[in-house]
Amino acid sequence: MMKTDKNELDEMQKAIRDRIGNQSFMLMFYLLLLDIGLYGFGIRWLVYPANVMVILIVCMAIYLVRIIAKNSYLPPQTHKTKPIFRLVLTVIFAVILAIAIAMFCGKISSFPTDNGNSAIILFIVSLIGLVIALIVSIIKRNDNK
Amino acid sequence: MNKNLKLKSARAAKDMSQKDLAEAIGVTRQTINAIENGDYNPSIKLCISICKVLDKSLNDIFWEDDNDENR
Repeated sequence: MMKTDKNELDEMQKAIRDRIGNQSFMLMFYLLLLDIGLYGFGIRWLVYPANVMVILIVCMAIYLVRIIAKNSYLPPQTHKTKPIFRLVLTVIFAVILAIAIAMFCGKISSFPTDNGNSAIILFIVSLIGLVIALIVSIIKRNDNK
Repeated sequence: MNKNLKLKSARAAKDMSQKDLAEAIGVTRQTINAIENGDYNPSIKLCISICKVLDKSLNDIFWEDDNDENR
C-alpha cells in the first residue's frame, strides 16, 4: 500500500503548491515589470532597493498565506501534533531578531543615507507578513478540529 | 467533475470517517474530501491505495458508467 513519507506532502498538496507557486512567480514578474515601467515614467514610489524588497516580500507573503489557507504548508502526519507553542515562539523569536537587526544596523550606519525610512518599511512589511501567517494558521487549525 | 458517491458509500460501509481513511492512506482529510466531491483527480497510485484500504477494486470505486456520467 502507498504510504507517503511523514515529512512529504501528499499529491494534492504538491499540485496546489505548484499551482500557487507558478501564480506567485507570475505576480512577482508583473509587479517588477510594473515597477520598472513606473520608474521609466519618473514615478518613484520607494527608493531602490526597498521597492524590489517590498515586491519580493509581498509576493512571498501572498504565496505563504495561500498555501497555508489551502492546507498545503505542512505534510499530512504533522497535522496530528499541535505545535501552537512552537509557532508562537518562532514568531516572537523572528520579531525580536528583526528588532535586534534593525537596532544593530542603526548603530553601525550612523552616517546619513538617502534611503529614508526604507528599513522601517521593510521591517513593518515583514512583521505584518508574520502576523498574517500566524492568524491564518490559527484559523486553519481551528477549522480542522 | 462528478461527485464520487461510490467512494463515499464504500467508506461509509467500512464505518470509516474521511479522517480515518486519510490516515490509513497517508494523505490529508482535505484530499479525500476533494476526491469525494470530484474536485481532485487522484493518481492511479492513490486510487489503488484507497481501493486496498476499502477492500474494493478500481472498477467498484472509480469506474464511471453512463448512468454516473449523466448525473
